[in-house]
Amino acid sequence: MKNIYLSQKAKIIKIEKISSDVKLFRIKRSKFSFIPGQFVLIGIWGQGEAPFAIASSPFEKNHFDIVVRNTGGRVTHALHNLKSGDELTFRGPLGKGFPISFFEGKDLVMMAGGYGIPPIASLAEYVIKERKKFGKIYLLYGARSPQDILLQKKIKEWQKKINVILTIDKPQSDWPGCVGLVCDLIQKIEVNPQNAAAAMCGPGPMVEALEKVLRPLGISDRRIFVSLERKMQCGAGKCQHCVTGEKYVCLDGPVFNYDEIDKNWD
Amino acid sequence: MVQVLEKKQINDFLAELGKKFEIIDARNDILPPKQYFFPPKEEIFTFDKKSARVSIPKIKKDFIIFGLSLPDLEAMVQLDEIMRKPQEDFFYFQRRNRAYLIGLSEDPICLPPVCALPGGDMILEKINEGQYRVLTLTDKGKKIAKSRFLKSFKNIEIKKYPDGLVPMPTLKKMLLDPEYLSDIVAWSWKNDAKIWDDLKDICLGCGICTYVCPLCYCFSVEDRNASRCRQWDACTLPNFAKISSGFNFHKTLKERYYNWFFHKFVRAYKEYGKSQCVACGRCKKYCPAGIDIEKVLINIKEDYEKYLSVAKS
Repeated sequence: MKNIYLSQKAKIIKIEKISSDVKLFRIKRSKFSFIPGQFVLIGIWGQGEAPFAIASSPFEKNHFDIVVRNTGGRVTHALHNLKSGDELTFRGPLGKGFPISFFEGKDLVMMAGGYGIPPIASLAEYVIKERKKFGKIYLLYGARSPQDILLQKKIKEWQKKINVILTIDKPQSDWPGCVGLVCDLIQKIEVNPQNAAAAMCGPGPMVEALEKVLRPLGISDRRIFVSLERKMQCGAGKCQHCVTGEKYVCLDGPVFNYDEIDKNWD
Repeated sequence: MVQVLEKKQINDFLAELGKKFEIIDARNDILPPKQYFFPPKEEIFTFDKKSARVSIPKIKKDFIIFGLSLPDLEAMVQLDEIMRKPQEDFFYFQRRNRAYLIGLSEDPICLPPVCALPGGDMILEKINEGQYRVLTLTDKGKKIAKSRFLKSFKNIEIKKYPDGLVPMPTLKKMLLDPEYLSDIVAWSWKNDAKIWDDLKDICLGCGICTYVCPLCYCFSVEDRNASRCRQWDACTLPNFAKISSGFNFHKTLKERYYNWFFHKFVRAYKEYGKSQCVACGRCKKYCPAGIDIEKVLINIKEDYEKYLSVAKS
């Protein structure tokens, strides 16, 4: 009998501090295969397991990256105390990712708010590598302040290939980008409404606001894909912590089209 | 030929089985049988940090759970299905595969084709003051039926007893139409909000209903120094849907209490085509606030029917 709760050991090959309370962990694998939007349960024996979206390119088979904010929780705090070369455990990749083949041939609007950038980063890596297969590509990313914008080195690379629009919550003197909410940036987008899709991840209120803005753009609910955050514990649709309406975020998601979830009672 | 066990030989039968199996007498249990396969708290992994060795506690002996009620046997059939799909829960089946379930019915039960059997490996069915008919339902059941205390008879005396006390008779009937229950519970959140507003003021959010429910199975996992433990959780408790950043997806007791109903009657129906309830009555019996889910569902049903009659006219 296969034990779905048994994790595998893996080695950390790089740790990079990317903001005051966020670190990127590069985890060594071989022949690792996943779809952008899928997640892993990362664990430390004695501390527990927690879910993280995979933030790296799906073309990279020898490692994957996760982005961890130290929330003060047991697992994230313990992860922040690890060093490169240490071991951790993982289960996955789990869940359903973004429908990449559905996106092909379409204009794509990617949006991330706050700490919601990791799954979008993985998707951005994919679409940039396969740039020719897509129409116009936008990435809208909002954070509290310039220091809270994660993966800045990556973003600089992405800017060469796709339209990246960054925004921060409050004006700051040396900031060249936009100020305000991600949803206020929608006027800057020009896509073919008949042939566009959106992918987003961010705090709940942002996701709801964006959905209302995307509709006037002509992007229907079924073409808006959202990656949801919940407390996935078992990763197998049993423990019940990640439910939303009739769905399990760990199995049916974490990526849903908006039509699947917007009528949920909760 | 019918196999019969004399009432006065039940203990002898169990003593004989006890030579080969561990016997658990569940007749006076408060907690439902899930506790034997999915314990309130269990070490699922132990680990040694120095050697980095991880091990899984093994279940060494076959065991018999004796005296399960018919609703509990029915719940076990459902729980087995839940734990099997879409992927097997290793720790549940590690115990479950070792277990033999013997049901005990103090009323004669109608047999197929009149009604479906509730589950279990063997059921002892009272047929008169002194005898129980032995119903062997599975290969496991056949194995334990090879006993000198089970005697075969051609003719037996089956006495009709008045219907035993069914804890929630109306709900038992309502459960025959899980689609309707799913519809009315889903409808009630927005259209019958008073029910949930009233319940949130009565409910203490203690989680006892979920612990005593034979079909509640949510859990949380927590590491200790040298082990990973899985323990029962309850979706009515405040932090059940809280994530690491502090955001809580079910902030209010009203949401959490409704989620309990929603899971049992709406999501369960979508997932398995059944309500996750067998009308055993434990949740009502042990609720410190006296909440009676049968009454709640009857109230929703009445409100729904009123709503339909108004909508029609």
